[in-house]
Amino acid sequence: MTDFARDVEALRPQLMRFARTQLRNDAWAEDAVSDTLLAALERPQSFSGLSQLKTWLVGILKHKVVDQLRRHSREATVLVSEDGEDLDEALFDELGHWRESPPDWGDPVSSLGQRQFFEVLEACVEQLPPVQGRVFMMREWLELETDEICKELSITATNLWVLLHRARLRLRECLQTRWFTARRPA
Amino acid sequence: MTPLRLTCREVTRLVLEGEERSLSVSERVVLRLHWLACDGCTRFRRQMQTMRGALDRWRQYRDGGDDASSGSA
Repeated sequence: MTDFARDVEALRPQLMRFARTQLRNDAWAEDAVSDTLLAALERPQSFSGLSQLKTWLVGILKHKVVDQLRRHSREATVLVSEDGEDLDEALFDELGHWRESPPDWGDPVSSLGQRQFFEVLEACVEQLPPVQGRVFMMREWLELETDEICKELSITATNLWVLLHRARLRLRECLQTRWFTARRPA
Repeated sequence: MTPLRLTCREVTRLVLEGEERSLSVSERVVLRLHWLACDGCTRFRRQMQTMRGALDRWRQYRDGGDDASSGSA
């Protein structure tokens, strides 16, 4: 095996994890990663290190996961019951006031650069219900505009906004519990 | 036209929408008026700013590969 092939293979587990977080389906993730490796091996290039190689591969992977989402758009947008759950009722009373006022997260700038924080964030994203997770990752990892997401998945703007609204509130809740509260001295 | 007085729930929805589109001038005025009087929504807004920054750094961290061999298989 050439060095290039070996390096590409070494990065495969990470690419799989990224693809899974975005696609939330192991078979689609396998396909996206295989397509990525195939494209990479067809035009081997030299890089000064694994880090540069990874950046290049992730760039290819982002296109391949969009292909998968487009191909499976119907299945990818079938809501499970959790996708339909709205945190609004839990957060606000019938007059629209906060039931419990949001706490101060402080100024966590330095702690947010920690590897530990990124792991918590990643775990929180992985816990989003599948459809919420897919659209959230399309927005935050693939950096697609909302109209592009609607087009790729054939969903309406209203549906997308509701899903993103729910996803962001859930993520906030998870970070609150698993990072901001957990780290605060009692 | 956006009414001048919104509930915290409506303000929250608007702040979250601001992550997906740019808000109009009148919407931003309404938000500012609300924040002047509401500590809870002001803190929520700061939380969203923190999350925004965290997500941007997370994307760079994942894609940048400064520690490329560390993926959990």
